Amino acid sequence: MAVTALLVDGLTVRFGSFRAIDALSLAIDYGEVRAVIGPNGAGKTTLLDVISGITRPKEGRVLFDGAFDLTQASDSAIARAGIRRKFQKPSVFEGLSVRQHIAIGADAGFRRALDAPALEDRVSEVLETVGLAGHATHLAGELSHGQKQWLEIGMVLASDPKVLMLDEPVAGLTDEETERTAQLVRRLNRPDRAIIVVEHDMDFVERIADRVTVLHEGRTLFEGPMDKVRADAGVIEVYLGR
Amino acid sequence: MMPLSKDRPFLALLLALVGVALAMGLLAGTPFALSRYLANAIGQLAAFAVLALALDLIWGYLGILSLGHGLFFAVGGYVMAMYLLKHSFVVTGTVPDFLQFMGWKDFPFYWAGFEFFPYALFVAVAVTGLIAGIFGYVSFRSRVGGVYFAIITQALVYVAMLLMFRNDTGFGGNNGMTGFAVLFGWPMGTSGMITALAIASLLVLAGVLVGCRLLVGSRFGALMLATRDDETRLRTLGYETLRLKLGVWCLSALIAMCAGMLYVPQVGIINPRVLSPELSLEIAVWVAIGGRGHLAGAVIGALLVNAVKFWLSFAAPDIWPFILSGLIVLVVLVFPNGLMDLATFKLVRPMGPRRAAAALEEGR
Amino acid sequence: MKLAPFVSILVGVLAGGLLLASPAGAQPLDRAALIARMCGEAAAMGEAGTALAALAASGEEAERAWAAPLPRAAIDRTLACDEAGAVLTEGGLDALTRAPRAAQGTPRTPLLSLKNRPVYELADAAFTLRMAPSVSQRAAALKILERRPALIPAGLLEGAAQAETDAGLKAQIENLAQSAALNAADPALRRAAIARLTENPNRRTLTQLTGLKSDAAYATDAAFRQAVESGIAKVERGIALGDALATLYNGLSFASILFMAAIGLAIIFGLMGVINLAQGELIMIGAYVTWLVQQGLRSLAPGLLDWYLVLAIPFAFLVTAAIGIALEASLLRHLYKRPLMSLLATWAVSLFLMNLVRVLFGTQNLQFETPFYVTGGVPVIGDFIFTWNRMFAIAFAVVTLALTWAVVRKTPLGLNIRAVTQNRDMAACIGIPTRRVDMMAFGLGSGLAGLAGLALSPIYSVNPQMGQNFIIDAFMVVVLGGVGTIAGTVVAALGIGQINVLIEPLWGAVAAKVIVLLMIIGFLQWRPEGLFAVKGRRK
Repeated sequence: MAVTALLVDGLTVRFGSFRAIDALSLAIDYGEVRAVIGPNGAGKTTLLDVISGITRPKEGRVLFDGAFDLTQASDSAIARAGIRRKFQKPSVFEGLSVRQHIAIGADAGFRRALDAPALEDRVSEVLETVGLAGHATHLAGELSHGQKQWLEIGMVLASDPKVLMLDEPVAGLTDEETERTAQLVRRLNRPDRAIIVVEHDMDFVERIADRVTVLHEGRTLFEGPMDKVRADAGVIEVYLGR
Repeated sequence: MMPLSKDRPFLALLLALVGVALAMGLLAGTPFALSRYLANAIGQLAAFAVLALALDLIWGYLGILSLGHGLFFAVGGYVMAMYLLKHSFVVTGTVPDFLQFMGWKDFPFYWAGFEFFPYALFVAVAVTGLIAGIFGYVSFRSRVGGVYFAIITQALVYVAMLLMFRNDTGFGGNNGMTGFAVLFGWPMGTSGMITALAIASLLVLAGVLVGCRLLVGSRFGALMLATRDDETRLRTLGYETLRLKLGVWCLSALIAMCAGMLYVPQVGIINPRVLSPELSLEIAVWVAIGGRGHLAGAVIGALLVNAVKFWLSFAAPDIWPFILSGLIVLVVLVFPNGLMDLATFKLVRPMGPRRAAAALEEGR
Repeated sequence: MKLAPFVSILVGVLAGGLLLASPAGAQPLDRAALIARMCGEAAAMGEAGTALAALAASGEEAERAWAAPLPRAAIDRTLACDEAGAVLTEGGLDALTRAPRAAQGTPRTPLLSLKNRPVYELADAAFTLRMAPSVSQRAAALKILERRPALIPAGLLEGAAQAETDAGLKAQIENLAQSAALNAADPALRRAAIARLTENPNRRTLTQLTGLKSDAAYATDAAFRQAVESGIAKVERGIALGDALATLYNGLSFASILFMAAIGLAIIFGLMGVINLAQGELIMIGAYVTWLVQQGLRSLAPGLLDWYLVLAIPFAFLVTAAIGIALEASLLRHLYKRPLMSLLATWAVSLFLMNLVRVLFGTQNLQFETPFYVTGGVPVIGDFIFTWNRMFAIAFAVVTLALTWAVVRKTPLGLNIRAVTQNRDMAACIGIPTRRVDMMAFGLGSGLAGLAGLALSPIYSVNPQMGQNFIIDAFMVVVLGGVGTIAGTVVAALGIGQINVLIEPLWGAVAAKVIVLLMIIGFLQWRPEGLFAVKGRRK
């Protein structure tokens, strides 16, 4: 297995004259939890949009497993390849039950990937993992904000993805919920999985991240472990120091 | 979605439809039989209810509002009228009015074979599938949705209306087609025929209702709701929503086509006015009044609104537009889920935050 | 013998050009000799008549004034010849000096021969055409001249046309001048006439020129044939150009109406994601308000009736804007996150307004006055007439565009509208009263629809259903132009307007609509968000 899960190479994304991402290059390895931080407008969510196929870049490519160019693939094909993402705003299907969400997440595509008993097992397992086993029959619309965040994580987790992207997983959560989410993320870390987390909560980032990439105006400002990030003068100037 | 066996309002409606059909069949020919007018009205209402189901399937469950479903209704209606005219011509030798009006000696070449019902049915399905398939594919592929889609479908039906208003198309033009004498070898206009058509419409309605219920209750139905609530989310879970939307869209178009085929022999005429944007908008109003995203609601809405319309078109035809606009405003402002709000409000048990959940809106 | 008249006639003849058709025009004559001829033999009388006609064509004004009564006198036999010359018996004046005197001895009143009579009638008509004070007299004279185009002296019609004050009669004179020259005996003259004819190419001149192909000279005279051929080619080019311009012009006026119908829609759609299905009825109400203003002026201030189109502007805008604001405040405000429901709600309003107007005013077309500033037009080239009613709509749309642009770009309301369009939540956060902005913008958009109704009332028929004729095209403009951009709306309106008008003559109005719709669907494949969409990341 290749060690590099995602290779971002010379990526540029423009919205009109505004460069959301400017010739960005970075590599994310299997087995690591990578945090991407940066001030608002640094290009964090846009980066995830490109990786998940929602936004087409102007230039550059994103290679998955060294071969699959994600910038040429559709969003659903990328998901079927094993790259899943939790959105910044909790995106759940309000008209469906919690159990249905996990089942949809576990089955990619219209043909069932798992037979009925296997699916049942998988759903129960995931519900247990994200702590929603007691709410299996509830409609998503009835859940609290934190539960929706976990439900979405469970949904993207259900297919056992190779790359997992979490966009602000603890925004709007209580301290206790944040703590539980941190434990969850650490538990999800596996040698054959890369996890990318975009987050503003520095304590949370410090708890979960192996490495941190600091984006600023669409470019990499710094890359390294969190303690080095806190010490870097450039980062302090644009971000932490303010 | 609750299991079918526990969905009591749905089962009650289904039972009522089949019951009325049965009663009409049993009482036919007896002194207790319904009047011809009433039987005919019931049949037409049932055809409209099928049309409402077609729209509810894509609007209520997929979040796609079509303001052009009259187009597919009209395809079914026109093909049925062509079959009826050609069949009547073969059996009785009556030359259709529109041929005489245009001064044509013979049917245009594309009328060939329409005296055979299976061929006519095939043409109806093919044309509907082709229009819906191509239009749906190009629209969904470029992610046209929401208000854009609604407006473009409205333009589509409007353009089709202008086209059919032309007299040289060979489809009756402005005056449409009428004078149907024979259906499947039986003379039309008899009490027996009227009753039979009404019963057939009721049974088709019941069948479509059950079929739709099974569809939306299945895993596929869950994916439809997921598409409605957040399409991008579903796509980024690996589902190719284009195929799902296209499939349901074409199915909905075919159901609307069936409604048109049921409707035309009962009303005895088809003309381009079924293609007016008003009719297509009215379908959406039936569904909204009955309760979008509830199959039983769509049926009840169509039956109720059209029953009132039938009655008022005799009693006070000028008032109807005002009543209709008042009803729409009422539904839109006070009862976002239509009659379903009334039902949950008064008759059935409170269902938790049902109103909130169901009031969640079509697409974002 | 007085020399001056002779010189003046000669100069006049020379000034009239060397192309004089009548040989008599070149004859030397003075007043006395002319009178003598009129009293002479039939041949002399004929020469005098021809000379009189030439005088009418190219004589000096004083000469013409002197000669004008003579042909009539000869026709009516009120010219009495005696030894001292002749007397005009009507007023008892000497024919030569115009001093009062009675005829001497036994005067003779010469009788015009059958051959000379038309010559004198023509001369009389020529004088009348140039000198009669009333338009009807001149028009009657022209009718007489038309009967004998071959006898008309050169320069007469040209001179008369130049002096003519009535535009209609002037055009008629010019027409006659052309066909007279076209049928002249001198080939050079005919070729010159053809050349002149081609300067004003239209379908009528094309018919005239094509008619010359059957002329005897066409087969025998190569120069003539060549002149006809090149003339036809030139006229056909002119007609093609005129038709192209006319199409563009009609497209432009249709686009103006579309733009006015769509700009309000586009602003509202950009702001709230709501397509107002009642926009067509707001257009209709704008037209009805215009009509009401016209009726009001008719009874209150008839002197201002012609200006109703201008005076109605504030009324049409304010009434429809008020309806729009009421609509927003009572209905749409509750439907913000439900755009599809707001479609139905606005349709209910459309239904209500249409039927209300139908009940109040009936279904027949309203009668509008056509004030002078939207009457007629200027012929430009070929059959293209630059009509003022269409120009009114175009100018109105341009002014509306400028004002809308100014409001959106230069006023605080416009700034707020743009802010809310781009990001409603953020705008609310920095203290923009989004609800009030919505309401004002809805009022603005609705008022613009009212103005559209005003602008189209001189061109299209006004009835309760009229809104439906524009509204679907207007929707297409919004879809094509993209969300809430003025530039997109302008370009899309121009495109759809022109394409409609271009296709219509080829395959008919229905085909035009079909093709426009297909093109829009095709276009959306390429740019699903419309022409001028703002791109951004998923919110």
